[in-house]
Amino acid sequence: MGNKLILLLVLMLSLSAILMGCSSNAADNEDSDPYEIKWYMIGTPQKDLDQVMEEVNEYTKEKINATIDLTMLDWGDYDQRMQVIVASGEPFDISFTSSWANNYVLNARKGAFVELDDMLDEYGKDLKDAIDPAFLEGAKVGGHLYAVPTNKEVGQQSVLVFNERLADKYNMDLSVVNSLEDVEPFLKTIKENEPNFNPIATFFPPDMPFDYIIDDKHPFAIPLDSNDHKIINPYETQEMLDKLKTMHDYYEKGYIRADAATSTDPNPLEVENWFMRKEFYQPYAELQWSRSAGYDVVVRPESDPVTLNGSVTGSMQAISITSKNPEKSLEFLNLLNTDPKLRTLLDMGIKDVHYEEMEDGKIKDLPARIESFNMPSFAIGNQFILPLYEDEPEDKWDAFKEFNEKSTPAPTLGFHFDPSPVRTELAAISNVTNEFAKPLLTGSVDPEEYLPKANQKFEEAGLEKVLNEMQKQYDEWREDQQS
Amino acid sequence: MKRKLSNEQVTKPDGNLSGQTIPPKKKKKRNKDLHSFSGFSNVVMNMILGIFALLCIFPFIYVIIISLSDKETLAREGFRLIPETWSFEAYEYLWQMKDQMFQSYFITITVTVIGTIISVLMISFYAYAISRKQFKYRKFFTFFALFTMLFNGGLVPFYIVATQFLQLRDSIWALILPLLINAFYIIIMRTFFQRTIPEPLLESARIDGASELRIFFQIVMPLSLPGIATIALFSTLGYWNDWFNALLFIDDPNLIPLQSLLMKIENNLEFIRQNALSGGQQEGILSDIPQDAAKMAMVVISTLPIAIAYPFFQKYFVRGLTIGGVKE
Repeated sequence: MGNKLILLLVLMLSLSAILMGCSSNAADNEDSDPYEIKWYMIGTPQKDLDQVMEEVNEYTKEKINATIDLTMLDWGDYDQRMQVIVASGEPFDISFTSSWANNYVLNARKGAFVELDDMLDEYGKDLKDAIDPAFLEGAKVGGHLYAVPTNKEVGQQSVLVFNERLADKYNMDLSVVNSLEDVEPFLKTIKENEPNFNPIATFFPPDMPFDYIIDDKHPFAIPLDSNDHKIINPYETQEMLDKLKTMHDYYEKGYIRADAATSTDPNPLEVENWFMRKEFYQPYAELQWSRSAGYDVVVRPESDPVTLNGSVTGSMQAISITSKNPEKSLEFLNLLNTDPKLRTLLDMGIKDVHYEEMEDGKIKDLPARIESFNMPSFAIGNQFILPLYEDEPEDKWDAFKEFNEKSTPAPTLGFHFDPSPVRTELAAISNVTNEFAKPLLTGSVDPEEYLPKANQKFEEAGLEKVLNEMQKQYDEWREDQQS
Repeated sequence: MKRKLSNEQVTKPDGNLSGQTIPPKKKKKRNKDLHSFSGFSNVVMNMILGIFALLCIFPFIYVIIISLSDKETLAREGFRLIPETWSFEAYEYLWQMKDQMFQSYFITITVTVIGTIISVLMISFYAYAISRKQFKYRKFFTFFALFTMLFNGGLVPFYIVATQFLQLRDSIWALILPLLINAFYIIIMRTFFQRTIPEPLLESARIDGASELRIFFQIVMPLSLPGIATIALFSTLGYWNDWFNALLFIDDPNLIPLQSLLMKIENNLEFIRQNALSGGQQEGILSDIPQDAAKMAMVVISTLPIAIAYPFFQKYFVRGLTIGGVKE
């Protein structure tokens, strides 16, 4: 029986090899035929996509002799799908990548994406001029660029957002608010007078002046204002203790919901049951928030914008190593990021079907856009060449440019930690993080008692070793940067 | 419930036999059935089972209540057993997307029906063959099936086979083929055939000149109805609840089954919770995602048909499982 089994296995293997061979050399295009670019994008599939793509293809065929086969994968599915697609070596040309879905750094390290450094000079000259150099520099992994970043806000700035209706009702002067601590008297008023409103919306990790290495919960960071380039455990700092004391104080007083640490409420803006929340800012975001909330909001900055690894790689398009024509794919990305007509078509749909152009060049959505062509604008490409909406200020994109200039680079911008030497320790630390971070950061537990506990557990899980490894890699990276 | 029923059945004839002079109540007390509990423990048992049954059904009732709650109230007060305001808003919302809903319903039902039929046929063919002693290679094929229970290639090879060899992408067969054969069901069916179909029966059929196919369809199949119903129920549930294959292979909105639609909403919500996106990025996402009530309404709509179908299988179910579950 053993022999038969082996025979069968051999048979199956050889059969599959033959089939594989067949499928891979089937497509050999002639130069004159337009090349079909297979493009995976994040976002809910839209009804009118085919209709719009027809127009897009007509345009791209004429411009760069290529057609686009765009597949939208839903937000929650995208990451998992792309992992399988990349791992299976399936041929495709372009995929959306970022720090939060279809992880850019991991894929770049794995060699899943084509390195773009030299190709950019040949096929992406216009693109290079159009995109803020901060993106092109900041998105490098190991000194090379593996994806085309989207031109948008380069930095991350956390702001406190207030419900204007409530603020007006109690005559609050919000201009005095510069930090979490300043809000206390206002929260008190709301708590006493408005039982139907949460003074603070559920998800509320406080803004801390740290440049985090992994994410804002893991205990590895460099203080933004320090000059000694030392990676530390932020949970051991006085700043953290003070901030968490404030949070816990707010929690005790009932400003923060009792179930903050466990709640999974996504807190949609449309539901007006909150007074204050924390968001990340981009110029004129208050207009957008007011628009989607249906009532006005006021914004107060909590810190200055900082250019972080996460914010630079927040939205990009990468060319797959399995692409049969990376040059053509880059040509398309070049066109997408520099040609307002193509960019607008992909984002807002067809003129007079999905949007309407006003006399002054500004535009207005038609119902069809919202119902059946609601594309994620920030994920597609260069936002600065998009037309403005009728209620948007003239200087919107100038404000973006100003914001980007104002944004200061974080100490670790461009540094990507390679966790492989300390995988075990890191896993143990992640467990501790999952246990402590949320209760601590939402103010649900007393930091005087739980911070030392958390720190002790971090120590036991091997914090020292990971910090040392990080410091070593970071110092090496800095030396490379300087030379 | 079950216990109580059988008690009555057993004691009733007794009461009738001598029930002409003595009231049946007294007789019942004296004439105890060996298998019944004492009155007290019967009450306790029933209470325990009752509470357990309540615990089982409670989540479903809760889901129905949430689906009928008002959206605003839900956001303000959280889940309540009796919400302040009732509303059919969630179902109205689903009605708005009725095109997609009906399409998904159609896909789910088609896949379930076709899948179950083919699956039951294939599994019983395979199981019947390896249950018969005359079949020379039965040991090998039993091992062949068992092997897949212990080892498999993993997700990526599975994906490569399905998309690159079989070209199943965006095809309804991608939802049917991967679930067709299940080694565990084969083992259940094999044992079932071995225990319920005596060899002499088949012998006599052969002597009467029946072909193998005829024996299978006209003698074996009718005799093994409980077993077939059992694996049919398993496959039906499997097909009805499957969302993973759709996640992997289906991009076309017209081919998305119901559970996958639900899963997508759930995944998207999870995604928003995990990723704090900046102002401009949220806009496109949030407007597409229904609220909690709508989610629960979808759960109700997608569970009801299968919950209704269940009792029809149930009478075979218990028998099939107990018989098939005993290994020689």
